[in-house]
Parts: sequence; C-alpha cells; structure tokens
Amino acid sequence: MTESLRPILAILVSTVAIPVILSLKRRPNVREGVTLTVAFAKFAIIASMVPGVLSGTQYEFVLGQFATGIELAFNVDPLGLLFGLLASLLWIVTSFYSIGYMRGLDEHAQTRYFASFAASLASAVGVAFASNLLTLFVCYELLTVSTYPLVTHDETDEARAAGRKYLAYTFGGGVAVLGGTVLVFVLAGTTAFTPDGIEALATADPTLARAAFALLAAGFGVKAALMPMHSWLPDAMVAPTPVSGLLHAVAVVKSGVFGIARVVLDVYGPVTMKELGVALPLAAIAAFTLLTASIIALRQDNLKRRLAYSTISQLSYIVLGLALLKENALTGGLLHIPAHAFMKLTLFFCAGAIHVETHTDDISDMAGIGKRMPLTMAAFAVAAAGMAGIPLVAGFVSKWYLVIGALNLESGGLVFAAALLVSGVLNIAYFWPIVYQAYFESPEGHDEKPLIEGPFGGRSELRADGGDSDETHAASDEGEVPEPEHVDHLGKHDEEHEHHGGPPAGGWDDRGWRGGESTWFMLGPILTAATLSLLLGTVPYTAVFLRIVDTIVSNLPGVMA
Amino acid sequence: MIEQIPVLLVVLPIVGGAIPLVASLVSDRAGWPVATLTLVGQTGLAGLLAWTVSTSGTVSYAVGGFAAPYGIELVVDGLSGAVALLVAVISLGVLAYARKAGPHSGPFYGLYLLLVAGLTGMTVTGDVFNLYVFLEITGLAAYGLVASGRDASAAVAALKYLIIGTVGASLYLLGVGYLLAATGTLNMADLATKIGEMAAYDSTLVLTAFGLMVGGLTVKVALFPLHTWQPDAYANAPDTVSAFISALVSTVSAYALARLLFSVFTVEFLTAVPVARWALVGLACVSIVAGSALAVSQDSVQRMLAYSSVSQFGLVVAGFAIATPLAVVGATVHLLGHAVMKGGLFAATGVIERKTGATTVNGYAGMGSRVPVSAFAFAVLSLAMVGVPPAVGFVGKWYIVLGAVNAENWAVVAVLLASTLLTLAYFARLVERLYFAEATIHSKPDEAPVTDGSGQAVSFGMIAVVVIAAALAVALTAAVPELQAMLEDTLPPLLNQ
Amino acid sequence: MFELLNSHYNYFAVMLLLGIGLYMLIESRNLVKKVIGMNIFQTGIFLFFITLAFRTGGNPPIIKEGGGPYVSPLPHVLILTAIVVGVSLTAVALALIIRIYTEYGTLDEDKLKQLYYD
Repeated sequence: MTESLRPILAILVSTVAIPVILSLKRRPNVREGVTLTVAFAKFAIIASMVPGVLSGTQYEFVLGQFATGIELAFNVDPLGLLFGLLASLLWIVTSFYSIGYMRGLDEHAQTRYFASFAASLASAVGVAFASNLLTLFVCYELLTVSTYPLVTHDETDEARAAGRKYLAYTFGGGVAVLGGTVLVFVLAGTTAFTPDGIEALATADPTLARAAFALLAAGFGVKAALMPMHSWLPDAMVAPTPVSGLLHAVAVVKSGVFGIARVVLDVYGPVTMKELGVALPLAAIAAFTLLTASIIALRQDNLKRRLAYSTISQLSYIVLGLALLKENALTGGLLHIPAHAFMKLTLFFCAGAIHVETHTDDISDMAGIGKRMPLTMAAFAVAAAGMAGIPLVAGFVSKWYLVIGALNLESGGLVFAAALLVSGVLNIAYFWPIVYQAYFESPEGHDEKPLIEGPFGGRSELRADGGDSDETHAASDEGEVPEPEHVDHLGKHDEEHEHHGGPPAGGWDDRGWRGGESTWFMLGPILTAATLSLLLGTVPYTAVFLRIVDTIVSNLPGVMA
Repeated sequence: MIEQIPVLLVVLPIVGGAIPLVASLVSDRAGWPVATLTLVGQTGLAGLLAWTVSTSGTVSYAVGGFAAPYGIELVVDGLSGAVALLVAVISLGVLAYARKAGPHSGPFYGLYLLLVAGLTGMTVTGDVFNLYVFLEITGLAAYGLVASGRDASAAVAALKYLIIGTVGASLYLLGVGYLLAATGTLNMADLATKIGEMAAYDSTLVLTAFGLMVGGLTVKVALFPLHTWQPDAYANAPDTVSAFISALVSTVSAYALARLLFSVFTVEFLTAVPVARWALVGLACVSIVAGSALAVSQDSVQRMLAYSSVSQFGLVVAGFAIATPLAVVGATVHLLGHAVMKGGLFAATGVIERKTGATTVNGYAGMGSRVPVSAFAFAVLSLAMVGVPPAVGFVGKWYIVLGAVNAENWAVVAVLLASTLLTLAYFARLVERLYFAEATIHSKPDEAPVTDGSGQAVSFGMIAVVVIAAALAVALTAAVPELQAMLEDTLPPLLNQ
Repeated sequence: MFELLNSHYNYFAVMLLLGIGLYMLIESRNLVKKVIGMNIFQTGIFLFFITLAFRTGGNPPIIKEGGGPYVSPLPHVLILTAIVVGVSLTAVALALIIRIYTEYGTLDEDKLKQLYYD
C-alpha cells in the first residue's frame, strides 16, 4: 500500500468542477470546456495508476475517522481500478456526445445536467475506490442523489414518476445495504475490503452472516437490476440518452454489480460463500434474470426500452460470473463489465443519434433507416453482434470465459452454460431484426413483426375460454399496439412538432457514408465506443482491461485453489 | 471560576433578558444588541464549559452553598455540556435571523432570553424538581413566543400548546412526588443510589413515577400520540420562533428524558423492568412511523416539518431507550444534528415564504430557480434529514442502528432502517416540486410577497443562517469523533459499562 | 373500604381533583373553563405533595426546644414554587384568551375551530 493523493484527486477533480459548471450558466462553451477538461484530467489521474496497480502497488488515501473502527478511506486496487478506469474513460466519450445531443435537441437546464453529470462521476469513482463497505455505501447513496436530477431532467409527469420510482427503489436498496453493512460490522468488527474475504465472517454466526449477505446482495441488486428489482431501469429511460448510456448502462448499474463483486470477493470471499451456501441462490437469480429479461426485450418496440431490458439481462451475466466462483467464470464476469459498457454505450448512442436526427424512437418505424444513418447503424450492428457474443467483438471474449467457467462447475454447470447460450440466441433474436430492417427493408415494404404486434400466445380469435363476441372484440383491442407517437427520450409528448417519428413522407433520404447523417459530436463518440468494443474483442490484453481482470483473479487464492 | 459557569449560564440570560424588557419602555431598539451581547457571552461560557468537561471531567456546582443532596446541584457532564453548547450556539444563530425577520419588540427579546435560560437550566440541573421549574420556565417563554405573531391564530396555537404542555409538566411533577415518597430525595445522583439500594425497581411507587415522569416528558418531546400541540405551534408562530423552538425545545426535553433514564432510573431499571423499555421503544417506533405518515399527508410545508419532528424524535428516543453506549452516542448525535437541520429547514421556509409567498407543498413547485440559494440549502437539509451520507443525519442513524443490532433488537432495526424511506417519502416530494415542476405561484413584480406581516424583505443574515445550517448539517459529521470522545468519559458510568 | 376512606381521605381527594380537572380540561368547550380545569388539576397535585409531608403527631417545621417530630418541610417549599409557576401559567393563559376573544369574539372551542380553519 502506498499513501497517495491520487485516489482522492480523481474524485475531487469533478467535485470541484460542479460549482464552476454551475457558475458558467451564461457561457455554455466555457462550461462544456470545463466538463471536457475535467473528464480528461480525471481519466489521466486514474490511468496514471494503472502501471502501478498492475505491478502490485495499491494507492491509499485516508480521509478521516468516520466512526469507531471505521474510516472514510479510498484504496485503488485492481478491481476498483477496473471500474474507475472504465467510468472515467467513457465519461470523456459521453461528454462529447452530450454536447452534440443536448444542443441538437436544444434541451433546457443544460447547466444542471452537466453539473449533475460531474457529481455522478465523482460518486461513481468514489464507489470504485472505496476501501470499505461504509465508504462504498456513502458514495453509493451520493450516486443515487446526483443521478436523480438527470432521470427527472424532462420535468414531465412521466419523468417525475420515473424519478420517484428511481429514488424509492435505489434508496430502498440503500437501506438494505446499510442494514447489511451494520450486520457485517457487528459480526466482523470491520468492513474493510480484504481479498478473499474478511476472516472473522467465516467464523461468525452463519444465520446472521447469511442474512447480511442477503441484505447486501439485495441492496446492490437493485442497482444491478436483478429481477424482481429491475423495474426502475426501463422507466428511467425517460432520461436523456447520454444519461441512459453512461449512467444506466455503465456507472449506476455497474456500481450495483461492482458492489456485489466487492461483497463476493472482498467481504465474504469465495470460500466463505461456499460454506454459507449463498452462491447458488445468487447464481440462480442471475440466470433467471438474464433469460427472462431477454424474452421481455423481444417484445419491446421502443428502442431504448429494449436496450434497457438488454442491459438487465447483460448485467446478470456479470453477477452470474461472480456467483459461480470459478476462475474462468470470474474472469468472464469481470471482463464483461467493460465489454458490456462499450457495447451498450454504442447502442444507446445510436438510439440517441436516431432520436436527435429523425425523432424516431420505435423500432417499428425504423425500417430502411440504414439509408438515412448508415454509419450509426453500422456501429449499432457491430455492438449488437458483440452483445450476442459473436467473435471479434468484446462480448465474445467475456462470454467465452463465462461459459467455460460454467462448464467447469462440479454440478449444475450445464444448466448455467445453457442459460448463457440460450440468452445469446435471444440476443440475436432481438437485435438482428433492427439491423436487418435498417439496411434491407424500406418503410413502404417491410415484414410484419409478430412478436411485437401480435398478442401473447398467438392469434386473438382463438381464446381459450371461448368468450362471446364482445369479449373477443375487447381482446383484439388489447392486442392492438397503440399508434406510435412521438415521445422525447421515451416520455415527453412533443405536440409542437408536425413530424411524429418514423420516416418522412417521401421515405428516408440518402445521406451517404461520410458523416452527413449527424454531427461529428455524436458520430465521433459512437464510432469511438464501437472501436473500443472491437479492440477489447480482438486484442483484450493490449486493451489493458483483461490484464487488470487477470490481476484481480490471481489475487484471489480462494478461487484459484 | 470554572465551577461557577453552570449557574452563570442560567443567570446570564435571565439578567440579559430583563434589560430589553425594561428598555422597551423607552425604545424597542435595545433588544437585539443586548440579546446578541448576552448570547455571545453565553456561547463563550458554554464553549469554555464544554472544553473543560471534555478535558477534565464533570463540573458540578451547589447552588447557594447547600451541599447535595439537600441543596440544588448543577451538574455538567459530556452529554449536558454538548447540549448546553448547542443551545447557546443555535440561539445566537437564530438571532442573526431575527434581526430582520422580527418580531422587533423589547418583550420579544426578553422572552427569547428567558427561553434560553430555561433550556440551559434544564440542561445543567442535577435535581428533578429543579428540572420541573426550568421545564415550566421553558414552557412559559415558549408559549409567549409562539403567541408573539401578529396573527391571532398564533394565540390559539399558543393556548393549545399551553394547556397540553402544562398537563405534561404536571404529570412530570406528580411523578416527582411519587419518587419523593419512595426515596425522600430529589437529587438525581442520590435518587439513583437510593433506588438502587432499595432494589425496588418493580415497586409500584417507582413504576408509577417512571410512567408519569416519562409520560410527562414525552408530551414535551411531542412523541406520537402526544404531539398534537406541535404542528399548530410551529406553523403559526413567527418564522424566527418556529426556527428557534423547533430546533431546541423538543431537543432539550428529549435530553431531559435521557437524563432521567440514565441518571435517575438507570439502565438497571430498564433491564429489571423490560416492560418499561419495551413501552418506550414501542412508543418511539410508533412515533417514527405515524409521524412520517402524518407528514406525508400534510399540505403546509411547516406542518409537514413539524410532523417530521415527531418522527425524528422517535428515532432519538429509540436510541436512548436501547441504552447501549453506541445507541446513546447515536441518539445524541441525532439530537444535536436534528436541531441544526430542523432549525435550518424552518428558517428556509421563512425565507422562501417572504420571497415568493409559497407556504404549501404545491406552492413550492418551481421555486428552485426563484430562490436558488435557499432552495438549494433546503434540498441539502432535506437530504441530510433523510440520512444521505455523509451528512450528520446519517451518522446518528448509523450509530443507533449499530446499537440496536448489538442489542439484537431486530424489530427496532427494521423500523429504524425503514425510517429512511419514510423520511424520503415526504422530503422527496418537496425537492421534486422545488426543482422539477412548473411553478404554480407566479411572481407579481408590483406586488410585495405575502408575509406574516413582521417584515417584508429578506436580509443577508437570514440567508446566511440557512446556508450555514446546511453547511453544518454536512460538516458536523467531522465533529462526531470529537463528540464521541466527550461522551466517552460520561457514558460508561451512566450506562454501567 | 370505609376504613381506607377514613384513613386515606386525602388521597381520595387528590384523585377526585385530578379527575375533575382533567375532565374539564378535555371535555369543556369553553376556553376559560379549560383553564379552570387546569388549575384544579394542579391543585390536586399540590394536595398530593402536602399530604406526603404529613406525619402523625408532627409539628410545623419551626425548630425549637422539644419541637419534634416535625412534618417534612421540603414538599411545602416545592409546592410554594409550583404555585408560583401555576399562577404565572394561568396569567399567560388568560392573556391569550383575551387576545383570542378580541379577535374571534368567541370562547367556544368548536366555533373557534371553524373560524380558525377558514
């Protein structure tokens, strides 16, 4: 351990930026300049710690005594670095994109937006570098608070409802985490993260230890969107797309996953987990979530909602990898943190670009859009392929490790491996139609989409209960999909616009492949994120993340044994 | 010199309070400067006392030279030192607010200082009957202050407060009578020894005394269902008074309750008579839940804050009743933190009302951009109250929960954890309206905003008070280890650890 | 029963006063009567303390040759203080009532509630 200012600097740099951003309300260019400078500075500080951490150094900073036996302290270990590096790298990308997106839509309250973003990133990096459960909890709660203004950004009834739901779910989770933290503290006398688990927990009262684990897993599971605590995430898609992209695909949801990772690896440790028998239930929940969410995603017509369910499913890959407690599965799960981040960010950015340029949000309106936005849809295709686990894209590497890890399991491994593979097929099923119709269909002539348009269980006339004609009529009404209407980021009904989404009257115009489709403020980030996911899929070691993951796993004797 | 400070702390504000009262025959201008001078002195003395207590232990003073247990003894330990300092600091802070917000009369400042004297007296006394006297002085001053608003509804609220408050204090007095009958003494330390020697924890006399005294004090603390005076009093009093009494009156009463539990009845009593502990813990838990539920259903922001106090004091009393060292530290932290937060919130409602005329939850819609500084402070204080770390509201809760887990009192743990969500339920609603809703009240440039008549404008001092309260709500976390050190010498003997 | 009444009549009086006082306090709609109820309630408590001080054959606590045994002087002192407190409370309460009456023109609690919440 090395005493160093760098962990706290990485957090403070964006905290200090908040008042600066707020004070620059009237000078948007300078304000965005500050955001970008800070984003680069944050990334530079965190990146500067990579070589040291890879060679076994840990950077530590103690802020002060919080309470008896508990310090507010930050410590950069490989696991924290993985998350911190990822969040700060993608903040740069997202900042550029935000500028394009917010200005493209001429959004209100942009100052508040950028300030909240800086606050969210400060908290997210705090979550990454926290060196004990309590510090983690402090940052975890601050993350909730600082992202709330972003979810409610639209200030519509729907946004407020989503914000309320968001607060209720995440604070509920926070309460569970607090309860778990207190229990761990009482049982073990410390909450400091120790690789392979806190020793005292192994000998503690097993019932209480299990209860504490359940509380912690449930609490972090809320942000990790484990079922049945996932329903805030699709609703939170009402937020502007960069928020959905960075926060609801990377920083916030990953902080939940990261919390579970900390609990599994550094609080309980694989050995204690096995003894307590809590790993299998967690794995089962994760497997259930990843399958169910994939199936629900099939039926979502709104692109961002479909992506949200895809996120729910993909997050459970990571949790599953952690819960299997096998070396390969761990590597896969942890590598999926950056892999999913790059791919999902690309997908969200694409959805946002489509929204800004054409005000189209529903997949059923997107036939032939490849003509209008060829580069965007190409990036979309790459990332979607990665999601499904097709080689050369990031998702393949992590899923490869995951499946191998599952197969290594003494018993039940086949079930988990099958779940992973089936989910991969479902991924193709819900992403391929989007790509296919974008390039190979036109608004005038495209195939029906029975999964979206048809009612569950086939044709509506064949009602099993043999109801009378009235009921049949009612049933077919229910099955009807409401008219697609123009909805901003999912929510705001934009009445002023004549154009209500979907292709213009004369079909999509052809913008070519040279970036005429959008501004480079949006295209640049999209292509960067897509490139990153390709890099991670082709040269995972050179892209540093796999090396960090390897360092994490090799530090865990309990797993290697 | 040092041992005289406790009595000086009581005498100084009484003497200081007499000056504006007399001076008001000539001019009302003298009130504020005199009160400020007095309270600056008071704060200095209280600070010195707290410092002495934390470095060299308990300070005690026999009033009039009559030695305890026959005479009245004033005792200041870590717990009472901290509360005495809090009283002095907050009353000085609220003065900065009062300068502009008024009421601007000599008698007002006289009552104000009398209230400070009563509160300090309750804090430093070591005698149960003396506590009654100070309880009534506090009450009398508070009734007068609540009624000092120009609106006659303030008088109705004050009368309701007076009648319920008097019943509470009378019940307490009756309890003192029972204790006197049982032991023949009134000195707290002496009472504890005598009750202990008789080992008569479950005798009818002691049990009845406990019920009456605790019951009487819970009226003053305003635990559910004895809280009914509080919303009217807080909502109808002038803003200065709301901020002042919401911060201190219930706080010091809760301190007195703790003093009674630990210094008179002692933890052995609570252990020997589990019913007593359960009754108190149960009352606290009901108060947490019911207070929050009532707060959610309020339309007026000030009434909502009043019900929030009912809920938060449930938390404090739960911590005291669990009576493990950690829980007591937590309850003390929350007691002090709540005083700062609630005082700040009431002060903020005053500023927002003066500037925009908004008093209701719906009226607050869209005010985030109209009164940015106060609204932001309000939001920070709200979040601190919800218990978002690292604000002080969280630290208190952390310790109380830790204590409850140590005591393996799982039902209480569940209620305490749920209280975060309950508090969130009513504060999130307000913060959401402040920032993410269309304004329902629109500014009319040619028309001055509605106020309660005592002053139109908002001064720098008023906003400064609100902002400082918000800053303190976060910064006090750093002072918690200090407070814990101060309590470390005090608590173990009290809790027989 | 009768003996108990005979030997402890003071306590019965205390209970009676407390009961009457509390009943008036809660039940009477007239504000002045409420305050009177409050006073009766307090008087019950005063009587309770004074009864505590009594001992059979005790003399007034004025120390002189062969004066003992004395009744306990302490409760008397306490109650003197409590009476002073009670008087000031009554004064404040009456002042408030006058204020309410000049403003609302009624002392009836129910009518006041209607006016108050309008």
